[in-house]
Amino acid sequence: MAPVSLEKLTKVYPNGFEAVHEFDLEVADGEFMILVGPSGCGKTTAMRMVAGLEEITSGTLRINGEIMNDVSPRDRDIAMVFQNYALYPHMTVGENIGFALKMKHTPKSEIEKKVRETTEILGLTEWIDLKPGQLSGGQRQRVAMGRAIVREPKVFLMDEPLSNLDAKLRVQMRAEVARIQRRLGVATIYVTHDQVEAMTMGDRVAVMRAGLVLQCDKPQTIYDHPLNLFVAGFMGSPSMNLFEARLGEGATTLFLGTQKVELPPTVLSAKPALGRFANAEVVVGIRPESLAVAGTATGERTEDLVFFEGDVDLVEALGSEILVHFSTDAHRVEAEGMYSDDAEGLDAGSITQRGEGVARVSPETQLVIGEHVRLQVNPKRLFFFDPVTGLALNG
Amino acid sequence: MKSAVSREASTPLDTTDSLTPTLRRKRKKGVAGYAFVSGYFVLLILFGVLPAAYAIVLAFTASGGHFTGLTNFIKTGEDFRFLPAFENVGKYLLIWLGSLVVIVLGLALMLHSIARRVSAAFRFIFYLPGALAGAASVLVWLFMLDPTVSPWRLFLGVFGFKNLGQTILPGHLPLIFAIIAFWAGAGGWIVVTYGALNNIPNELIEAAQLDGAGAIQTALRIKLPLIKKWIVFMLILAFAAGTQLFVEPQLVGEASLGLISPTWSPNELAYYFAFQDNNFNYAAAISVDLLVIGLLCAAVLVFRTKLFEVE
Amino acid sequence: MRLFNRIWSRTFSYIILLAFTAFFVVPVIWLLFAPFKTDHNLVFENPFALGTLGNLFHAAHVMFTFEDYALLNWLKNSAIYSFGGIAIALICSIPAGYGLAHTQFIGRRTLLGVTLFVMIMPATALVLPLFLEANAVHAVGTPLAVILPFSFFPFGVYLAYIFYSSSVPKDLLAAARIDGCNEWDVFRRIALPLARPIIALVTFFAFVANWNNFFLPFVMLPNSSNYPLPIGLQDLLSATPAFNPGQGGQVPIYRPELAIATIVAMAPVMIVFLFAQRSLVSGLLAGATKE
Ligand SMILES: Nc1ncnc2c1ncn2[C@@H]1O[C@H](COP(=O)(O)OP(=O)(O)OP(=O)(O)O)[C@@H](O)[C@H]1O
Ligand SMILES: [Mg+2]
Repeated sequence: MAPVSLEKLTKVYPNGFEAVHEFDLEVADGEFMILVGPSGCGKTTAMRMVAGLEEITSGTLRINGEIMNDVSPRDRDIAMVFQNYALYPHMTVGENIGFALKMKHTPKSEIEKKVRETTEILGLTEWIDLKPGQLSGGQRQRVAMGRAIVREPKVFLMDEPLSNLDAKLRVQMRAEVARIQRRLGVATIYVTHDQVEAMTMGDRVAVMRAGLVLQCDKPQTIYDHPLNLFVAGFMGSPSMNLFEARLGEGATTLFLGTQKVELPPTVLSAKPALGRFANAEVVVGIRPESLAVAGTATGERTEDLVFFEGDVDLVEALGSEILVHFSTDAHRVEAEGMYSDDAEGLDAGSITQRGEGVARVSPETQLVIGEHVRLQVNPKRLFFFDPVTGLALNG
Repeated sequence: MKSAVSREASTPLDTTDSLTPTLRRKRKKGVAGYAFVSGYFVLLILFGVLPAAYAIVLAFTASGGHFTGLTNFIKTGEDFRFLPAFENVGKYLLIWLGSLVVIVLGLALMLHSIARRVSAAFRFIFYLPGALAGAASVLVWLFMLDPTVSPWRLFLGVFGFKNLGQTILPGHLPLIFAIIAFWAGAGGWIVVTYGALNNIPNELIEAAQLDGAGAIQTALRIKLPLIKKWIVFMLILAFAAGTQLFVEPQLVGEASLGLISPTWSPNELAYYFAFQDNNFNYAAAISVDLLVIGLLCAAVLVFRTKLFEVE
Repeated sequence: MRLFNRIWSRTFSYIILLAFTAFFVVPVIWLLFAPFKTDHNLVFENPFALGTLGNLFHAAHVMFTFEDYALLNWLKNSAIYSFGGIAIALICSIPAGYGLAHTQFIGRRTLLGVTLFVMIMPATALVLPLFLEANAVHAVGTPLAVILPFSFFPFGVYLAYIFYSSSVPKDLLAAARIDGCNEWDVFRRIALPLARPIIALVTFFAFVANWNNFFLPFVMLPNSSNYPLPIGLQDLLSATPAFNPGQGGQVPIYRPELAIATIVAMAPVMIVFLFAQRSLVSGLLAGATKE
């Protein structure tokens, strides 16, 4: 019996806006479930419905098998970590953490014991008598975590709990939160905007868009086999290059703008659905890391690779790798609302221009802005999508 | 549905939580909101809405309780004391509002152009007499206006005033009340205006200076237009409060040996109707007049300015 | 030339500011000095001459014992009315501000709008209507006829509403609900303790307004033993030979005594002003600017 199960959960706000549409989700015992999606897609709303802070318009919410739709938040036995932590400013760290226990009329001595244990786990013991206003961002975040874990709830809900931390602390807390969750084995729903958090922290990821769940699976599965254009473009940073293209006769050639790329027969045999798109438009997707400058040794046989050309617009050397922004004459495709607010800013400025792409290449590569460049990719790593429905052409 | 029930029944509770489904409280909708505002709501009805409604009823009826239309309003309007009372208050308002615009703004602008610490001291001093609002301020000013004891006696002498009776001649009263109102009330407005000036981004003023505007130019062309809505706010509130003048003429009248009419202001006139003539209907009619003025001012502030946006 | 202009305009500013400083403080200083002198001193000596402690004791003795300690009685009445009104005002306005800011109910916006209206409208406009109402229920002359209208303080509701909607995030209350609070607990354990500064602010404003209120007690309380200080002052004023030579001799209240009564009337507010200056001023702005 799943600790949390959402069945066709729908939220229509009083102003008539449908923020969540027939949301289905099962979180297994001890599972870490990540919710991602662009801003405004309904992640917070979904989570607040589970918490009982937002009324459920229709559908069924079960926690440990019990229907919870009309149960008040305080009786759901859930804990939540808020984005801004929502620490009680007039209470000390200890009082903040112990508050929920106090509300359950737990004996004082037991509260004290549990609070002490919790602060030890989180390394907060030193600050137990300070008020939230006197703490650093990272410490506050820990208190918020402490407040959640001290209750030993059935479910953890976390709404972008790390987004207010600076980059370094974020990395540190990311590991810590994941560690604590594993250790406690409590089913968790975790909302994030952060690609790395989405890929690394969760057992499964649910990608949402405009109130709908588009795909819910293991992070690597989603990355390797996105079900549609949107998921393909959303997961991954820098995001997948998506170009308008045409398949030629027999789906053995691909026209990228004016460039003709020969596809080896293995491509069609691996993705027979492409046959239906012979002589038709498709969307082709290439992950930036699948691209390399022609001639680079990638451990792949040259005869397995295909090539196309572009002009270098910008070179960003990140130390461990180089991001090459290039343009081709093939039109770039964007799934609506694909890019989240804080899409790492890498190509935020040029994103809307047509024909632009990004390649992630090894740091030894020497490139000059304006240079004409030949790029190589293993056609096995190409993704194809139906330009009308956006569905991946896999089968 | 059936399966859910059987599932619950067949599964023993596997947590230490002792709550059973029947014990769980249903979420209550909206009830809490009513509970929180109920106390205030009762007060609002009893001491805001009801008295106003009752005054309106009285204003439109005769002492017997039957409806008389506008008779009370016309009768009080035709009363020989009605126009002078409004005239008195009108003159007073003219001076008081004029001084608010000119002096309060002038002082606030000056304070805004000097060092912060110094201006804080000035602001506090100006604000201090606010503690003596009402009867105390009138008493203090009776002393100040009495040439026999006043620290300003030389100044009063210049105008040829020899005793209190000469200073508080009926013709002087609008000015005197304006001075009292200014003394007790201007400080608060200076603080508000100064605060509004402080909200102007510094870059804006620096930009004006770079554009070649001097202190006075900056004040007139940049600062004043930017705090215009606060000036309007101040004027409307001061106007609304000024129409309600009561304690000042009442107390000064007390010291004037009957020189000053006991119905100097509209509120005094209403009071007179209620307590001297025992004519509550007339009193109510004038109260409704004043109420309407107050409501109009409030309406202008709420609907015309964007000062009181609620959410 | 520029520099000269600057210096000149700065000097001009300071002259004006100092002149107004004199205008604002001289009356207060004079008032504080007056009880140290005799009425005769006040008339015939330099207005800023120092008096003697003996004069002060004499005047104070006369004033406080006047009519069987009437002044103290008025002081007591003022305190009862002011604090009685404040207590009820706080009990009602803090939850109301919270409810308006953080709960949903039908009529919420209407209530907010009406509150705004009655807050802007001068309270004096309702005095006679209130009297007529109190008269209809035969409450005139009782302390409640003053305390209850005092307790209706829409400005306090507005301040609390602004505070709760701008400074208390919804998530904080949501966190409390998840932590096991019912709606009342959320208010009592989270929202109310956070409102401490706003409680102080509402108290100050209500206190100043109540303490100085003249018109309402004037019409509601015909009986001298019920007077609060401002009405008592008027009573003294009408009786003193200082301003009414006709009254000569009957009452021993002269200007120094009157000054003491005035000081007693203003002292509590003045003390509040001095101690709460900062929060009063910022509150004045908060009430005005909302940010
Ligand atoms: N109280 C409300 N009334 C009406 N619409 C609302 C309300 N709250 C949220 N919405 C709308 O519902 C949609 C989903 O909001 P939600 O907060 O769930 O988004 P989100 O996915 O959490 O976004 P973000 O990543 O920016 O936090 C948004 O379009 C928002 O405008
Ligand atoms: Mg959100």
